[in-house]
Amino acid sequence: MQREKIAGRGAATAVADQAAERAQLRRLEIASVIEAATLLLLIGLAVPLKHLAGWEPGVKAMGPIHGLAFVAFAWTAMQTVAGGGWSRAEVARLFALAFLPFGGFLNLGLLSRKAAALQPGNVGP
Amino acid sequence: MSVAALYPWLKALHVAAAIAFAGGLLALSVFLAAAAAIPGSVPGAARVMRRWDRAVTTPAMLLVWAFGLALALSGHWFGETWLQAKLAIVVVLSGLHGVQSGYLRRLAGGAAVPSWRPAPFILLGILAIAVLAVAKP
Repeated sequence: MQREKIAGRGAATAVADQAAERAQLRRLEIASVIEAATLLLLIGLAVPLKHLAGWEPGVKAMGPIHGLAFVAFAWTAMQTVAGGGWSRAEVARLFALAFLPFGGFLNLGLLSRKAAALQPGNVGP
Repeated sequence: MSVAALYPWLKALHVAAAIAFAGGLLALSVFLAAAAAIPGSVPGAARVMRRWDRAVTTPAMLLVWAFGLALALSGHWFGETWLQAKLAIVVVLSGLHGVQSGYLRRLAGGAAVPSWRPAPFILLGILAIAVLAVAKP
């Protein structure tokens, strides 16, 4: 009876772990999309408007907004990676792409694969 | 209410959030050091710590950032060296919290975490922030 209880608790924990990892990856996806979108708005719209039309408020607004979005992405990425199960190459790719236009969108494929690879009880090294 | 009248209120809320954040950060660093030193995993205790981290420490960190940026904007402090140095330390402490939070998720899942003892650096960071914010050297 006691053994059954422990086994049952283990299975419930594994399911919760998987759900927690999926939720964490989902949060990183959202942070990645926001970071990528604000970077595109900054360098694709606000910067050209400043240099071609002399309109500076766009850069003054989008600069800090993208800065905060990048900090939020970096924090969520560190939290996700510290949870375990990431190779060094995956970590390097995750952070390097954040500096490139459209890079945050390219990371979505990696995050989808990480979510698909989740198995019960297999959340860390 | 003017920005000048709001300033002390923002400052009080910023300090309260900073105390809650620093307390949570230190407590979690000690818990992780203990978890790494004790043989076997401690998922039950880690889940309790994780609830506290998600309900108090992480929101406190977000409030530190929100009130701190509002204070810096209203006081036009961004050009000051002391604030730039303080901001760099806050970025490092926030990053440490992100890593600790990830380790805590790992522990709560029943996996082990590597040896982790950042408490002395966190204390130094807190001391440096207090000096920079109060003395404004």
